Amino acid sequence: MSTRRINGIQLEKMIRNGLANLEASETEVNRLNVFPVADGDTGTNMCLTLANGLNSSKSHKEACHFLKELSEGMLLGARGNSGVILSQLFRGMWLELSRHPIIGPGEMRNCLIRAYRVAYEAVVTPVEGTILTVAREGIEHIRSQIRHNTGIDTLLSMYIAEMRKTLAYTPEMLDVLKESGVIDSGALGYILICEGMLKYLYGDVISQDTARYERSLATVNPMTAVFDENSVFEDGYCMEYVLQLMATGSYNQRFHLPSYIDDLRIYGNSLVVIQEGMKIKVHIHTKKPAKVISLSQEFGEFINFKLENMQLQHNEHAQAVSLTKSQQLLSTVAVVNGAGMRQCFENLGCAVLIEGGTTMNPSAEDFLEAFKKCGSQTIAVLPDNANAILAAEQAAKLFNGSARIEILYSRSMVEGYFALAMDVADSTDTEYRLRQMKSGIKDVLTMGQTVATRDCSGQGIMCSCGDNIVVIRDEVIAKGDNAVSAIIAAFDCLPDMNEKESCILFKGNETDLSEEELIEAINEKWPLLEVTCENGGQQLYGWLIGLT
Amino acid sequence: MKSFVIMADASCDLTEELLKKYDIQLIPGHIRLPDKTEHLSYPTWDLFTREQFYTDLKKHPNEFSTSPANVEEFSRAFEEVLKNGKDLLLLTISSGISGAFGFATTAAKQVMEKYPGRKICVVDSLRFGPGHGLMTIHAAQLRNDGKDLLSVETYLNENKNRYHQAGWLDDLSFVAKKGRITHPKAFLGMLAGVKPIGEFDYNGLTTVLGKVKGTKTTYSVLMRYIEETIENPEEQTIYIAQTNRLPQAEEYKKMIEQRFSPKEVVIHDVHPLCGVNVGPGLMAAYYVGKPISSDLSVERGIFEKAVAEVNS
Repeated sequence: MSTRRINGIQLEKMIRNGLANLEASETEVNRLNVFPVADGDTGTNMCLTLANGLNSSKSHKEACHFLKELSEGMLLGARGNSGVILSQLFRGMWLELSRHPIIGPGEMRNCLIRAYRVAYEAVVTPVEGTILTVAREGIEHIRSQIRHNTGIDTLLSMYIAEMRKTLAYTPEMLDVLKESGVIDSGALGYILICEGMLKYLYGDVISQDTARYERSLATVNPMTAVFDENSVFEDGYCMEYVLQLMATGSYNQRFHLPSYIDDLRIYGNSLVVIQEGMKIKVHIHTKKPAKVISLSQEFGEFINFKLENMQLQHNEHAQAVSLTKSQQLLSTVAVVNGAGMRQCFENLGCAVLIEGGTTMNPSAEDFLEAFKKCGSQTIAVLPDNANAILAAEQAAKLFNGSARIEILYSRSMVEGYFALAMDVADSTDTEYRLRQMKSGIKDVLTMGQTVATRDCSGQGIMCSCGDNIVVIRDEVIAKGDNAVSAIIAAFDCLPDMNEKESCILFKGNETDLSEEELIEAINEKWPLLEVTCENGGQQLYGWLIGLT
Repeated sequence: MKSFVIMADASCDLTEELLKKYDIQLIPGHIRLPDKTEHLSYPTWDLFTREQFYTDLKKHPNEFSTSPANVEEFSRAFEEVLKNGKDLLLLTISSGISGAFGFATTAAKQVMEKYPGRKICVVDSLRFGPGHGLMTIHAAQLRNDGKDLLSVETYLNENKNRYHQAGWLDDLSFVAKKGRITHPKAFLGMLAGVKPIGEFDYNGLTTVLGKVKGTKTTYSVLMRYIEETIENPEEQTIYIAQTNRLPQAEEYKKMIEQRFSPKEVVIHDVHPLCGVNVGPGLMAAYYVGKPISSDLSVERGIFEKAVAEVNS
């Protein structure tokens, strides 16, 4: 049954449901946070603001009394930009309804108009594409359709539908949203509150506890804007429904499955039709859903129905791919070995990783594949040893794409790590970034600790199979009874060891030594050396060590 | 009697002692802690100790959040001043970072309507933290010199782009998370042995000028950078802000004193409200110098030259 009028008690319950609905999606709203600039978090701030209002108001039968206390509490408790605007929207509602104990459709319409007007006035420089635009267009587009007998629930659902439409266009109005590929977070927050209010009218009361786990945003996709008035519609809709054939009334009683299927074929493809008694289940891809509907309604009515714009899904995917590419003037390709190393390089912003390691050098083809995945104007390449450098050079010659290939001649993963660490990724000056990365490789000493697999000698060191050794560029420089003593011995034989400032340790797969033990042993002898450890997970070397 | 009141929002991070010394009023912000409680946030260590706060922040970086005072809170603070027949100058955190400037401007409009003839000037500092604080102190000094409200406002608007930050941020993930660094992905956690050097950009956001390998080299580069950008160091009090880097800050202080002989070098704590947004690894000096270029290209040039000189 439609709700024509609401009082203060009902309004309070609606708004509490609105808050619960917003809280359910608080994290998702926070995640959309790009505008104006994240100062705190939009979802959290809106929840806090509304909760403050509800906490400082008492229950009143008269809507105006409740709204007064609510809006005062919100004004004082407003947090962040979105919170302030939200509090102003509710202040506008109160100003309009300050003499109304009961709210009907006319009052509701007027208060939603007043709400956005007050909010616009409160903002020094109103920005379109935000909560303001959504609140304005939401009501302006439907105000003429509201009659004295329009239900509050109908009004709210029209309001929300309009706001959702505008929300999808927010990225078109605001570049910062478009660049980030999201919709406006504050606007979404406001819509979620209104949806919660509407849900209450439909008897869907969200408890605070379940609200935390419910993900009402599942239907909302931040990429909605990938379909707009300029989009090309080629992919059609994906339709799924169950049709109940009707035995009474004016329906055509001569349903014949094969001819129904033949008719559907005219309108679309990917057709699946299953009959179970008087129920027909259908899946079809079509550009003309109306035809399918009217054909089906000749025989019966829909039990359920799903219609999805496939172009949207298609565009979403295309956009996701192009976003990652277009963002980068410069991207990096690196050769790594070990799960920890992969993670580490990815965290540093490396675009494409090639699996490497001393026993599995990448081929020129591996590099070519990696270059193709990049899509940036310049590709910086970080090999991990001399063999990989050769393959990279070969690939650079063979590459026929438009990108410029810049090999950075790193000879170890440690050097690659430092190159990435020195990259200034938010600079648009490619040359500057390349110089920074090159300076990262300079003056880095890489050592590897491992166990000798055969007897060997070099630089006056004799070692036998099974000894713990430390190598620099395949040259054994020290040995010891265990990994710690070998590493300490290696450090000891460096003439400029006392000038080194920092040391990074990458822990490999094949070592039992704990990082605490190793760091302690190093710092005992070189207390000023800044030692950090990362989990590298590399093969072959128990420890990969970088000294600068 | 002072001619007008100077007020700053809590981003200025000035301690009670300094606020008293320069007769500055502070309007607190809000901080939300991992236990979901919300508190008014002042530049003090009332809620926790420095060590405790930065340890917690490192463990739960996403569970702290901050927000500025809202319109109503600004209005009430303004009204207290105007009610007593005084005018007011407010310096807010950069509008590039927070909505505070907008809120304060709205509040000022409302309150001035109520008290015709009284004046509230709201200045967008385009800075946050110690840069904002230093500017607020300068405003108070100008007032002590007998300047009136409008001339102080004009001075600030003409010179705010000359407030520099020269120092490092060990952990860029905090500034990146808060939208204060433009590249979303490339900064996670600390970089072993590499120091990102931060400067304020034109809009007051901390931006990475470049990175330097090794602490010793970093100090030398910073000295060169300050030398190229500072003006009249001997007449300035230079502030060093540090989140949890006191020994390094003391080292830095000594170097600055020797090289530039400023009037004074003061080491400052970064309190929770700012700390949430810069993370545990800030150590930087704040001073007045040459105007900052709109795309930071001049500053990047100076930085790169400094690195080349130090490395040669």
